[in-house]
Amino acid sequence: MQVRNETQTGLTAEIRIVPLWAWALAGIAFIIAQVFFNAVLGRHSGAPPAWGRALMGLAAGLAAIGDRAEVAYVSSTDVPLLHPAFVRRVVGALDDQVDVVLPEVGGFRQPLSAAYRIGLLSAVEELIAADRMRPAFLFERSRVLHMGEAELLLNGPLARLDPALASVSNLNEPADYERAHALPAPEVVVERFGPLAKPPAARRETVRAWSLGGVAAAVGLTLDEHIVAALNGDKITRDVDLPLVSGDTVAFMVADAGG
Amino acid sequence: MGMPPGGYFGTALLVDLSTGSGRSETIEEPVLRSYIGGAGLGTWLMHKYCPARVEPLDPEAPLIFVFSPLVGTPLTTSAKFAVVAKSPLTGRLTDALASSHFAIAGKLTGHDAIVLQGACQEPSVVVIDRDRIKVEPALDLWGLSAAEAEARLRDRHGPAWRVAAIGPAGERGVRYATISHDGRHAGRGGLGAVMGSKWCKAILVRAGTKVGSADPAGVLAAAKGLRERSFGAATAKYRELGTMANLLAFNAISTLPTRNFSAARFEGAPALGAEEIADLRHVARNSCASCSIGCEHIYRGPGGTQARMEYENVFALGPLCGVSDADAVIAASSRCDELGLDTISTGGTIAWAMECVEKGLIDAPWLRFGDAEALLRAIEEIGTREGLGELLALGSRAASEEVGRGSEAFAPHVKGLELPGYEPRTLQAMALGLAVNARGADHNRSGAYEADLSGVHDRLVGGEPHVAGAIETENRAAVMDSLILCKFLRGVFEDPFPEWAKLLELVTGWDVDADELAVTARRIVLAKRLFNLREGWTREEDWLPDRFLSESLELESGRTATLTAGRLTAMIDSYYRGRGLDEAGVPSPETVSELSLRGLTDSEPIGAKVG
Repeated sequence: MQVRNETQTGLTAEIRIVPLWAWALAGIAFIIAQVFFNAVLGRHSGAPPAWGRALMGLAAGLAAIGDRAEVAYVSSTDVPLLHPAFVRRVVGALDDQVDVVLPEVGGFRQPLSAAYRIGLLSAVEELIAADRMRPAFLFERSRVLHMGEAELLLNGPLARLDPALASVSNLNEPADYERAHALPAPEVVVERFGPLAKPPAARRETVRAWSLGGVAAAVGLTLDEHIVAALNGDKITRDVDLPLVSGDTVAFMVADAGG
Repeated sequence: MGMPPGGYFGTALLVDLSTGSGRSETIEEPVLRSYIGGAGLGTWLMHKYCPARVEPLDPEAPLIFVFSPLVGTPLTTSAKFAVVAKSPLTGRLTDALASSHFAIAGKLTGHDAIVLQGACQEPSVVVIDRDRIKVEPALDLWGLSAAEAEARLRDRHGPAWRVAAIGPAGERGVRYATISHDGRHAGRGGLGAVMGSKWCKAILVRAGTKVGSADPAGVLAAAKGLRERSFGAATAKYRELGTMANLLAFNAISTLPTRNFSAARFEGAPALGAEEIADLRHVARNSCASCSIGCEHIYRGPGGTQARMEYENVFALGPLCGVSDADAVIAASSRCDELGLDTISTGGTIAWAMECVEKGLIDAPWLRFGDAEALLRAIEEIGTREGLGELLALGSRAASEEVGRGSEAFAPHVKGLELPGYEPRTLQAMALGLAVNARGADHNRSGAYEADLSGVHDRLVGGEPHVAGAIETENRAAVMDSLILCKFLRGVFEDPFPEWAKLLELVTGWDVDADELAVTARRIVLAKRLFNLREGWTREEDWLPDRFLSESLELESGRTATLTAGRLTAMIDSYYRGRGLDEAGVPSPETVSELSLRGLTDSEPIGAKVG
């Protein structure tokens, strides 16, 4: 089994408002900010609490995006079960009347599984400068849409693909990791085209696998120079480590498209 | 020239159709080595024999059949020939390839090329038996399909004769008429109209000599190895389902042009996919001469008819026109063959007209997307140039210029040549390839879709990797189209340029290597560009229709495919730099010098300057 992390979410087409690169950049910037904080500020002034690191990471991420997008989905790095449908649900709820979409799952607000308007950067920086490092201070001066579990799951795709809202589950301890390993692999739809669909091969079937390589193995194909896969009709790839989530469709086709 | 190198005769046969006379002219060895054969040598011959700025359908405009050094060897897929002319559809260079026995018989007339000049006095056929030329009246053949004319001529002259002929569309000057041989077509750019303008229904050739190779044993061994490799996985698609296998796969990745490129997925695609219909309709599989792949798949149509179905036929006459009736698409394809029409341009022009009708720009209420009967009627009218066919016979560019009122924005062409079945917004390396190619929107001279579908870069966000992919695939096509080898074989070459150089060395005896062949590829690509420049090309022609730059497509994943003018411009600028062109798209003096193109840069035909 392969457990997904933030840089392997396969979020190729999940965000309508924020381009993928901006979303990825925000995540990367967040990580960098964390490292910077721990290495520099933490060493000299004592490590701040987790919520403090989060606000600084948020500032770094929003700054990195700049004017290239209006909204960012912000995530911690320890949620390998994050589903694109969750991102779509949260980002999709942000409209002109809202600055932050803040999910509340398991009785907790989830500021590191939330959507933020990029324009909040100055407010975040002011809070940091004032050493008011709690995300709650940001929410006090923002227009926040709180979304509880029931409201999140009103969204059909999310209810179908991540009904337990595992998207916000942190995996911090070895036991968490082991529990994740024990989960059933996601259900993925497999389609075959051209000669790969030759009977008795099924042209369309459902298999369980965590990665593209797992899917290929499950249907008896090898992603060599003659075969490529398309993920959800979009990304063309031979990356056997590409993580998959439930609801993904993988199409196998011959690599030579001449005609 | 002394003895020509292996694989060549070192001559072109010049045929004056107006007098029925001919003469042989030497093609010097440096020219052969610089341009190889097929599309490459054809380009050089066009520089030499085509008067500058001549009207494509003027008798002075030449029509050239070009052979290549590998023809006549046992190398698989080598029995191909090129036909080259100034296109009546684009006003630029066009070259089209076709396969089978005409290539072998034509070359074994003892010439590397046959140049038809002038025009017959009446509907005629030209018979070439080595250096003997005869122009025979053929009024009885006028109006027949190419296949019927071919059959009658072989009955009349004997089975040793091979025939390339035009159908009624070529006779009537439809600007995208084809030249056909043995059911295969030199299809793109209106070569059939050029032949028809010369009152030439057909050209007959018969093998009368032999051609040698420098290393016959080496060629035989290479042929054996290549043949064995041609049975492998790289050609499985072509053997098992043919190019029709593209249709459903392209639909799944939003690359199937639909309803005049207003969408990239077609709800009716399953009814046309080979995977769906092969069991019920597939009749037979055939091969070209000297081919071990066998990509040709014959399908059963309505009323017991049969037709060879290819992806491009089906895309253009099916999804592009919104038609999902397999019977209708097979019938339409078959009718295009009979009339002698390029199916891509036919489908593209009809789809444009359907959209015009939808928008109230053309008064032909019967012509609606998805209406199979309308599709067949439109094809008939084009072939006969009756009714709406008079307008549509011009192709989508000229027709849209006539209709105006914004219809130019969605006329699906580049340089006048209708787009093939590769959606440029979701294949952005291909978008560049389509825009800059000398022949116009074309998938055979630019295979940049290979780069898009490799998974190496994001096909929806064109940039530098896409440019590199477009240049590389264009270079490879230039060599394959000149050797000539079928592109369906390309996947079997692990390291193409060294392998191709070795084949050329075995046949010709030249000490050619991969580096030389890479330079040759660049030379051929730019020689075509120089011809177009001579004929009035400007940078504005390296562009895509507005539709592709102003309308986005949404993929099933939810991601949006957008190709902006700025992105396309950036890719074109980069392509120009990569090709050694200036900002106007003109080869720089350094490039001209490096590629030995100096003889082609004058505004007049090169005449005897080279050689």
